[in-house]
Amino acid sequence: MTADRRRVNGPPSGTRPAVFTADLQSGASATDRAQRQRQPSELRKIFLKTGLIPTASGSSYLEFEPSASLAAARANPKSLIPPSSALKLACTVHGPKPLPRSAAFSPNIVLTTHVKYAPFAARQRKGHIRDSGERDLGVHLETALRGAIIAERWPKSGLDITVTILEAEDDRWWGSAPDSHDASWGMMNVLAGCITAASAAIVDAHIDCLDLVAGGVAALVADESGNSATGTTKLMLDTDPAEHRSILSACVVGYMPARDEITELWLKGDSSKASLEEGDDRSGHDALIDGAVDAARGAHTVLAEAVRESLLRNVGQP
Amino acid sequence: MATSAAAPASSSRPALSLPPSQFARLQPHAYLLAHLSPPSTNNQPSIRANGRAPTQFRVTSANAGSLTHTNGSAVVRIGDTAAVCGVRAELLHTEDIASWSVSQATSSNKSPRSADQTEELGEQDDNETIERERAHIEDLNLLVPNLSLSTGCAPGFIPGSAPSSLAQSLSHQILSLLHSTRLVRADDLRIWYQPPSMGPEELERHNDEEQMDVDTAQNDPVEESPREIKAFWVLYIDIMIISLAGNAFDAAWAAVLAALRDTKLPKAWWDVDNETVVCSDSISDARKLSLRGLPVASSFAVFEADAAAGWRAAVIPEAAEMKAQRLARKGGVSERWLLADPDGYEEGLTQERACVVVDKDTDGKVIILKMEKNGGWTIDTEDLQQLVDLSSQRWEEMKRILDEC
Repeated sequence: MTADRRRVNGPPSGTRPAVFTADLQSGASATDRAQRQRQPSELRKIFLKTGLIPTASGSSYLEFEPSASLAAARANPKSLIPPSSALKLACTVHGPKPLPRSAAFSPNIVLTTHVKYAPFAARQRKGHIRDSGERDLGVHLETALRGAIIAERWPKSGLDITVTILEAEDDRWWGSAPDSHDASWGMMNVLAGCITAASAAIVDAHIDCLDLVAGGVAALVADESGNSATGTTKLMLDTDPAEHRSILSACVVGYMPARDEITELWLKGDSSKASLEEGDDRSGHDALIDGAVDAARGAHTVLAEAVRESLLRNVGQP
Repeated sequence: MATSAAAPASSSRPALSLPPSQFARLQPHAYLLAHLSPPSTNNQPSIRANGRAPTQFRVTSANAGSLTHTNGSAVVRIGDTAAVCGVRAELLHTEDIASWSVSQATSSNKSPRSADQTEELGEQDDNETIERERAHIEDLNLLVPNLSLSTGCAPGFIPGSAPSSLAQSLSHQILSLLHSTRLVRADDLRIWYQPPSMGPEELERHNDEEQMDVDTAQNDPVEESPREIKAFWVLYIDIMIISLAGNAFDAAWAAVLAALRDTKLPKAWWDVDNETVVCSDSISDARKLSLRGLPVASSFAVFEADAAAGWRAAVIPEAAEMKAQRLARKGGVSERWLLADPDGYEEGLTQERACVVVDKDTDGKVIILKMEKNGGWTIDTEDLQQLVDLSSQRWEEMKRILDEC
């Protein structure tokens, strides 16, 4: 492959990420793996602020509260390996703007979504060109937002939504070996964050919407307290994948509380075999979706507050 | 943002009256000119449309070390321009470098230990050390800065496409400034290995890397085989411009500087058994980069009242006379202004740019590290002197901000 001549390239032979001694000796550090300190239905705090980027029509910045282990590691730094990470992303909205002359006629607003990880966002260095995962996130985000925007109010117009992820969530705890339960669980949290942030940015850009779409994540987690032979699973809201040994299945929704509508649903993993607690006869995926909707309701309260702030700020301006 | 003046009472005004924000859009040049040259009847000082004095920089803030997955990171906001920089260190093994053994053989055979000592003693680098530093950092591409504007930072940049020419030029300016200021010491990036002298009793100690490490650090026996470089740290310096409102270079460079000052590299050593470099994750073993100085960039733009005057003088001689008469009427005030730290609106109205990078040594002497001027011919030597003075004032301000973050 030829080098990208538009960027400053590193050494042509490539580089290797640093290998820590802690990575090599497995099992020794199992005691200090990140543990969930929250209740199963307790969400992380969300910091959401709009209007930080004045050059855009609308913008927002979202940050999740660091998990207990990360907060402890920050307060008292010992190791260079972070125990977990907290989502940080910036979202900008440009538009509505006229479509280029060459574009075909569209009676509705044309949404374009771009989700890009910063190269330093994840534990592994990301490339500069969007990979398939980032494109996938973009498509999911577009689906979630398209259901909320009143698109026919802006014929022949375009709306660009760009999300830059400065820090992503981990897919699993860094010390655990890859296993069969692995999937890109971190992406689910990132998508939920993208939906909430993009929704705030769209309102900040004064685009008419049916309701605020909020993102929420729930997951079925193999119970770690009991013996694993019984195979009980627990429903957890707003899971940080680094804090759980094995996530069986996870679900992210884009949800509009006022209309009780789901605009985006993404379910990963096998929820069919999950047996929930006693007295809960919902099927696995029903429970997951309900849980994700509950999480989205929680995010919606933050979103509503951020939008109120955005409006108050804009009212003061001429 | 353009102005904070109250909207005029539209009812009593003539129909063609415009609120300031619309005037600013329709006649940007006249708008800025009117701000900079207030009528001589009132004693208002010349002020820019954004409310700053011509030589005033925007409010700057910096915050370092907030990103988890980086070796060092920083966020710098200069007014409405915001840059996030993350530094990630990866390893380049010398065995992966195609030309390594050849270049080692041809380069100096001087003991690397003595080179270290001269560096530790102070800034007494001889030419040979400088050349070796340059050879390592520049030829091996150990510093990899990349700036991204595809973050939706301004309407003109399409996200997802290849880097625009502005992004490319900024990346290269940062790279060349990193090289020319020699900010990062090559010695911080080298990972040495001391092969044990192959005596029969020493072979037994091969397994114990800890002990070997102590060896390299402390004793310095004469018969020991020469130390060799096993790997280099490569610093990937990625800058995301989150919000662009003019003067991206100053913000990006300040973010790079703050992130490099925050960068901690783990202790790394060559592990003979695994034939690779391993690192300690303990934060007490990690060390910060020891940067050379604190180069601070300050950018300026020149706003001309009549940008075409110079051309007209060449093409229509009478125009030059008219201009001279007008100047005489105004009392000889030149109709151009040096604007420090131009914002996006001003950048659109100016052609001529200047960028000065200065540092101060311990005695407070100003060292000019870079001086660049392009796009016009109005800045003369006196102006450059003034720019350097302004830049050194800015250096004090930036030093305070960067020390606090």
